[in-house]
Amino acid sequence: MPPDLLGTYAATNARYDEMLAAPQTPRAHWQRMFAQLASTAPEAMRDRVQWVQRQVRDNGVTYNVYADPEGADRPWELDMLPLILPAGEWAGIEAAVRQRATLLNRILVDVYNEQRLLAEALLPPALVYGHAGYLRPCRGIKVPGDVMLHLYAADLARSPDGRWWVLDDRTQAPSGAGYALENRLIISRLFADLFGELQVQRVAGFFATLRDSLAHWAPADGAAPLSVLLTPGPHNETYFEHAYLARYLGLPLVEGNDLTVRDGKVWLKTLSGLQRVHAILRRLDEDYCDPLELRSDSALGIAGLVDAARRGNVLVANALGSNLLESGALLGYLPKLCQRLLGEPLAMPSVATWWCGEPAALSQVLANLGRVVIKGAFPQMRVEPMFGEDLDERGRKRVAAMLTARPQMYVAQELVHLSQAPVCDRSQPQQLLARAIGLRVYACASPEGYVVMPGGLTRAATGPDARVISMQRGGSSKDTWVLSTGPVSSFSLLKREFHAQDLVRTGLNLSSRVVENLYWFGRHAERCDDTARLLRVALVRVIEETPAGRARSWQGISGLLRHVGLLDEDAAGADDAALARLLRDAVVDDSRPGLASGLKQLLRVASQLRERLSLDNWRTLNNVARRLQRSRGRALGISDALAELDSDIAAFITLAGFALDGMTRDQGWRFLSMGRRIERLQFLCGMLQQALAGPADGDLDWVLELADSSVTYRSRYMARPQWLPVLDLLVRDVHNPRSIAFQLKGLHDFLSRIEDAYGEGIDERLDASVMALEAIDPEADLQHGSARLAALLDEWYAASYRLSEQLGLRFFAHVGEVNRQTFAT
Amino acid sequence: MRFQVRHETAYRYEAPVVLSQQLLHLSPRPLPWQERNSHAIEVDPRPAESVERLDYFGNPVTQIALAVPHQSLAVRARTEVTVAPRPRPPAASPWEGLSERLRAGGGAALLEPEQFVFESPRVEIFRDVAAYGAKSFTRGRGVLEAALDLTRRIHAEFKFDPRATSVSTPLREVLQKRRGVCQDFAHLMIGCLRALGLAARYVSGYILTTPPPGRPRLIGADASHAWVSLWCGDAGWVDLDPTNDCLVDDEHITLAWGRDFSDVTPMRGVILGGGEQELEVRVTVTPL
Repeated sequence: MPPDLLGTYAATNARYDEMLAAPQTPRAHWQRMFAQLASTAPEAMRDRVQWVQRQVRDNGVTYNVYADPEGADRPWELDMLPLILPAGEWAGIEAAVRQRATLLNRILVDVYNEQRLLAEALLPPALVYGHAGYLRPCRGIKVPGDVMLHLYAADLARSPDGRWWVLDDRTQAPSGAGYALENRLIISRLFADLFGELQVQRVAGFFATLRDSLAHWAPADGAAPLSVLLTPGPHNETYFEHAYLARYLGLPLVEGNDLTVRDGKVWLKTLSGLQRVHAILRRLDEDYCDPLELRSDSALGIAGLVDAARRGNVLVANALGSNLLESGALLGYLPKLCQRLLGEPLAMPSVATWWCGEPAALSQVLANLGRVVIKGAFPQMRVEPMFGEDLDERGRKRVAAMLTARPQMYVAQELVHLSQAPVCDRSQPQQLLARAIGLRVYACASPEGYVVMPGGLTRAATGPDARVISMQRGGSSKDTWVLSTGPVSSFSLLKREFHAQDLVRTGLNLSSRVVENLYWFGRHAERCDDTARLLRVALVRVIEETPAGRARSWQGISGLLRHVGLLDEDAAGADDAALARLLRDAVVDDSRPGLASGLKQLLRVASQLRERLSLDNWRTLNNVARRLQRSRGRALGISDALAELDSDIAAFITLAGFALDGMTRDQGWRFLSMGRRIERLQFLCGMLQQALAGPADGDLDWVLELADSSVTYRSRYMARPQWLPVLDLLVRDVHNPRSIAFQLKGLHDFLSRIEDAYGEGIDERLDASVMALEAIDPEADLQHGSARLAALLDEWYAASYRLSEQLGLRFFAHVGEVNRQTFAT
Repeated sequence: MRFQVRHETAYRYEAPVVLSQQLLHLSPRPLPWQERNSHAIEVDPRPAESVERLDYFGNPVTQIALAVPHQSLAVRARTEVTVAPRPRPPAASPWEGLSERLRAGGGAALLEPEQFVFESPRVEIFRDVAAYGAKSFTRGRGVLEAALDLTRRIHAEFKFDPRATSVSTPLREVLQKRRGVCQDFAHLMIGCLRALGLAARYVSGYILTTPPPGRPRLIGADASHAWVSLWCGDAGWVDLDPTNDCLVDDEHITLAWGRDFSDVTPMRGVILGGGEQELEVRVTVTPL
């Protein structure tokens, strides 16, 4: 056993220790994990920490914007050690969280309907009427099953005596459940044996319950209910989770302008027209949900959503208005409310909280300012917590004046000494560190009452004495293992039976936004591939050949480099060393046209498709992005740049392989493929135009190389490339995936299929282009200097351009149009 | 008195609007002192949907939606109402007592005024607004007397200037510029009253524009009007008009009330498309 496993682990009496019962003595439910850690060699520990990091990175788990072109990528922080809780203790937490969810839902339903709690003076009016989260237009909306709070989270902390307390309630759109799921997938694989032996309870059933309950309560109109997950978009800090949950739950991920309200019903704008939406699991803040009736200074959201909910035509989860309960001021009233509404005492206390709106509480707070934390009473205030113990005399006076001036806006809370648990730091993985932790527990409503996720999101503080645990401030997270006494069951409360009429074949619910993104994903992926190949062709010739040696090919290559924007006119006079540098920069420098900037575009589009792309797609993209980022950091040699291009081209082939072999042939796939073919068609036309502009005795090896057709050519002709056979292979041969014929025929076929599905609407159907292709006379037209061929290349290029425009107008046009608010007096 | 009111709103758009959803607060609220003899709202082009209901505050509201592309939208409301005189309220109790009752809360009986004690989207409460109102609300002064004094001061110290502000000008700016329109003066007065812990609501409506012989012409002609309603305890709600320095009587026609303009905007909507837009609003109040 490594003697120093606990060498730097701070034992303390000021905190409850989750792992140790006494110094060097693990608690019973930690013994097996502890023994395993103690018997692991330091190198193996290091490997494990790195494995976890790599998983997080490869899966692209991020907390803020994924691959934001400007901002920094911040990977999700996941500690390899789970928080372990025994079955008996968990039973208490579970019951308390279930009770609290039930209670909060009852309060919410009362406040948005009869308001008996206000009439009976059990709730002060300031906590409702003075709360910016009290949404007046939502009063009186009848909700199915009297459930407004579908998904609820409680932030728990454990005090030194071992008791659990509630720090905060998350009632609007609790985040983190998806991260908890991702943490579980990684950590359960890391400790696969232990995970099984300890009979850790599974969390998958919880998510199934959430999804099935939404479908259960969604308004019925005979059709299978369509639920969607509403996100504010890729710039939200937890967008990764939105996309992840959407994919896991099988819900379309939508933004506000993907939805529209007509006749008091909510519809998803899809390729095949409007599809009725029955339930919305929302991650968009409620005051932004409806510009018609809610916030009057924002046009985000879905105009008319409140009315659709009012008419009972859509289920919104959590119900609009549930943010009301996220107020520290409410905590002090819960014991009485629990007694009044449920007829039983509150099972788990809230951390001691005083709402300064009560004169008695205010004077007590003022007398004890040094020992409390001051927070805003309402979530809209966005006040940073102020720690009384940090304030000097002047600071205390200032805070006292602030509280006295507007007491109802503030609460004071007792400072909680959080419990501590071991974390494994990557800088010294062989030694455990003690860190303060908090536990977020989730509950979801089901027809049989609230169900609590057996597990949750454990968060650990960054430093040894952090008082606030927050992922925003760079804390880390842990998987949460709830042990069971018996065998683990994978039961579901709401097993749904599928019948023949429920079977789905086509992607009917493909939103127009997703289709547009798939199309551009195809185009950018192909463009990156073309760019990488062209840069490789050019770099090799600049390095390996003298200007005289490459004279017969360089005019075409440099023409193409200029044509696609990789070199500008000034580069014409550059010597070889300067040229090599320019080409190398085009590989790694994302501030100029080239591979790195093309990849940035590809990642931007991909990040809008998170829930549609498989994990393998992600890993491939991530690897290229990371490699390029690393290369940019150091002075990259020319040969390194070439090696880089080799790896990138292999990655792009992998991506193309996923599209070919891993995607269902639905309409979305057709749009992606059309994007690829239009891009390739344009590149091929440009390449041949430039080659034909070169000398008649030009070297054509580079053309074959660029079109990945050298092997085919050699196996067919065993001779030096000549115009007729090369042009035949790259223009007329429908069996060559890099020929113009292949692109044109494929596009023609896709267009007719899309027309079958959605009717006419595209004028450029490529009929003329295909006919012209078939009318080519090889002997006359497939020659250097053929005016007909030059005209055809121009025309095909123009046709592909028209087609792209028309696809946009016909299928994507509404994306980008935004709602605007108007006021008239 | 009996009135005919015509309220016409006309939008012209540079490009077609493909979807337009509007909420109209253009139907006078039925009240003990106000009877609606006839009322109709005409919309051109014809809306795909038109639904009437009551809003959170009990005001009639009409929702319309237009789903065919259009480049102009006209909404014409025609109403005939009879407004009875309102007796001068006996609201002499000191204002502090009311403020204290509202702060202490009292369950069901006080829930109606409690709705109007707090900040609202368009009425921010800040130090300067509190200080401005406090000058009228001296210790022990009767609530109505103090409120009338505040009404008089706003009328005297602020200049009516339709060019100085827009529908989105914040209260801070109004207080600084000392200029504005009826909506701004109503928000200012509401801010002053709420800062003292009193309950005040925003009333949207119209005012008679024909000056009776020998009396000055009232401001607010040919536009919708706004004033303030103050909770005076057992004396109920008393309406005051800071734009015209008067108690509201039978020459004011009430459309709707709420916490501020944002709750009862005569026409609030969301459109998709449209480009640049022009708006013309015409209000005509004729005594019958």
